[in-house]
Amino acid sequence: MSSNKDILPPELIKDRGSLHPINHMKDSIMSLLVSFGFEVVDGPEIETEEFNFDMLNIKKTHPARQMHDTFYVEKKLNLLRTHTSPVQIRGMLEKKPPLAFISGGKVYRKDDDATHLPMFHQVEGIFVDENVSFAQLKDLIYKIIHSLFGESVELRFRPSYFPFTEPSAEVDILSKEGKWLEILGCGLVNPIVLENCNIASTKYSGLAFGLGIERIAMLKHGITDIREFYKSNLDFLSQFK
Amino acid sequence: MKIAYSHLVSRIQENPTLEMISNSLFQLGHEHEVEGNIFNMEFTPNRGDCLSLNGLLRDLSVFYTINHDQKIYTEKLDNLQIDFENLSQDICPQISFLKLEIDNIPHTYKGCLNDYFIDLNVNKNNFFTDISNYISYETGQPTHCYDANKVNGKLIFQELNTSQEFETLLDKTINLTDKNSVFLLNNEVINLAGVVGGKTTSCSSETKTVLVECAFFKPEKIIGKSLKYDIQSEASHKFERSVDPACHELVMRRFINLVSEYSNIKKMSFVSYKFGDITAHKIPVNVNKINQIIGINISEDEYLSYLLKLGFTIDNELITVPSYRSDIETQNDLAEEVARAIGYNNILKKELSIPKGKISNNYDIENKLRYFLLDQGFYEVINSPFVNSSSDVSIKVDNPLDSNREFLRTNIISSLLDNLIFNERRQKDSIKLFEISDIYTSENNRIDRIRKLAIVASGRAGHNYEDFSKKINIKYLTKLFKKGLPGENFDFQILDRDSIKTKIKNEIIGCEVDISNFSTEVLNYKEISKSPDSFIQYCPISELPYSQRDLSFSIKDFSSRQNLEKYILGYENELIKEKFIFDYFFNENSAEIKIGFRFIFQSLNSTITETQVSNVMNDIIMHTEKIKGVTIPGLN
Repeated sequence: MSSNKDILPPELIKDRGSLHPINHMKDSIMSLLVSFGFEVVDGPEIETEEFNFDMLNIKKTHPARQMHDTFYVEKKLNLLRTHTSPVQIRGMLEKKPPLAFISGGKVYRKDDDATHLPMFHQVEGIFVDENVSFAQLKDLIYKIIHSLFGESVELRFRPSYFPFTEPSAEVDILSKEGKWLEILGCGLVNPIVLENCNIASTKYSGLAFGLGIERIAMLKHGITDIREFYKSNLDFLSQFK
Repeated sequence: MKIAYSHLVSRIQENPTLEMISNSLFQLGHEHEVEGNIFNMEFTPNRGDCLSLNGLLRDLSVFYTINHDQKIYTEKLDNLQIDFENLSQDICPQISFLKLEIDNIPHTYKGCLNDYFIDLNVNKNNFFTDISNYISYETGQPTHCYDANKVNGKLIFQELNTSQEFETLLDKTINLTDKNSVFLLNNEVINLAGVVGGKTTSCSSETKTVLVECAFFKPEKIIGKSLKYDIQSEASHKFERSVDPACHELVMRRFINLVSEYSNIKKMSFVSYKFGDITAHKIPVNVNKINQIIGINISEDEYLSYLLKLGFTIDNELITVPSYRSDIETQNDLAEEVARAIGYNNILKKELSIPKGKISNNYDIENKLRYFLLDQGFYEVINSPFVNSSSDVSIKVDNPLDSNREFLRTNIISSLLDNLIFNERRQKDSIKLFEISDIYTSENNRIDRIRKLAIVASGRAGHNYEDFSKKINIKYLTKLFKKGLPGENFDFQILDRDSIKTKIKNEIIGCEVDISNFSTEVLNYKEISKSPDSFIQYCPISELPYSQRDLSFSIKDFSSRQNLEKYILGYENELIKEKFIFDYFFNENSAEIKIGFRFIFQSLNSTITETQVSNVMNDIIMHTEKIKGVTIPGLN
């Protein structure tokens, strides 16, 4: 027995697009950090050596400053930022503590192979206040990692070296296959960097962290070749609805 | 750097296992791979002091009792008379020379020297170079051995700014350009300082009289040289990361001791030059500061015990940093030493609370636009900014990866056109793409940054029965966008297809708009698309060609329509990539529904065959024929 419903047109399934998985991952991380209290700040991708290196205590001898690691433009007057940290420097110069910023976006390094691209994405954060400690940094990192990978994920902190943080650490998570995977870098803001930004390091201290978006997106989506992100293949993009 | 477990453990009283040492190294922040009984170490660039057996043992002192006493020559040394001048004292503030003459040249080694070559599989060279290499492994201080009989004349150290050829002891001729720190003998370069020695003065298997040079070079003057001249140099790796400026005499006495184990030393003399003082760094004892930085509560005794184990000395409330730790300058540096000793993973976390920050409005407009575009079926892409073409306002990359990536793009739409062609070549018949990015241009020495949205679209309006037969054109897109964002102007244009080598004739419509042109009215848009709740697991994509089939049905018994739809849209087969209703028509006069389905086939592994497609289609037909009141016109 037919009813009127049977002659109605079928459900019209409209095509919907999708966010790029890297931007989606960046947005997810930044939303999470905003929910923790961080304020989003933005900065240019073309930077000066002063903001990209000097203010961050990256000395002239640091390998990152060599022509084989950094893209320079305009006859070495400027460069393509190698990390999003210069945005935080600009933020610290503009505002007084307590302050909590995050910045996310494209960064550039002179690399091009199956696991590295000359352009990739980072999200970095900084919190400056009185008596900020490494133990508090650990609390924040646990919250970030647990939000991204679930409460049950095992993580570990390793001493590392970044000129702009001291002490510095890298954080790994344990994969289902039992392998430790590097997820982020973090540390307490080097007092030299605070002083460079006219913040009294005798009164204030800070924590900072940075995540590589591609790496986390690859882990979350099970993508093994970083180059897939930037082919703009609709068969790839349409999977992320 | 490779360091043998046996070399480490032979000097550790507790006799730890390889796994125990590996765990200790991990806690100290020294990444490594274990290859058999060898630790393949990767040190952070600030820890040049660890680039040796002794250096690593110094760090392990925080956990173990280490035997630091090594045999050295302890007798008084004669003063070496050498014709040497340092014309760049700021680059080389300390340098020492040792001259040795031996009776006979040994051909076999024993003890630690033998273990070094065997355990680490290092190639032997000549006696003095072998000793020098071992000394570098053991102490971290590179030394250079000249055949003393070939060094006749005045030796000069100098930073030179000339272009000249230099033949290295590795038989490679390099053309020195710009500024280089070099040793000159009779105005000829005999050593590229801190990197590699020259062939004309190098030791050979016949050398019995050696002039050993032991120096401290400013790292910034060495860095990048080995890469520039494509020379694999362990010495430069160490000098770039800084060596201990106060170790020269100890290193030379160890050199003498090792030589004396193999040969009678006929003559020896030593001289050390210091051009200015290298003073030890001192930091006040302040356990409260350390506790505050780390977020712990340890006693001063515990704090200082860690530092003492690591070679720091404490006197008069001041901590003296050992000469080999050029990375330690502040209380934060000391806090890291303590945190490493305790173990980062043993430091308990403390609740962090951050006051709420402001949320930016601009980001919301951009985000609303993105979701509006998703609702219209557009996909977001991200493109590299590096391009090969330029305009008057293009920014040139000084050191591009290659000539195809020499400039920064001055528009987004050209990248989107490339993306569109890429997808057309993969048989996509409905392509809608957008990108939001900063664009940088340079004019009159001023760099401008503009945030832009670009859109391109071509082909069918969509994969559903309403949009399938519509082609994307300016009218279609303008109407679509006006409906969602009535107050905004996208100014769509037909983009030129002439320069593109393609047989497809569909119009390409596009626009590029400054984000700042959009009004806050955009914020009123109510999006349908949502950000995915979970992270989708990616399925590998195929680069093989598609095959497509259409199947149209006539339905006389309307009650069967939903059964047909449910069956076909729910039909699963690994070869079917996509299926959708591309046509629907209800004919009231003939009391008939006509419905058409499109199936797109693609295999991940091989080009799909006619037989594979037919098998799937036959299966679908066989099942749908059984549905009451449903027929496939034209099928007998």
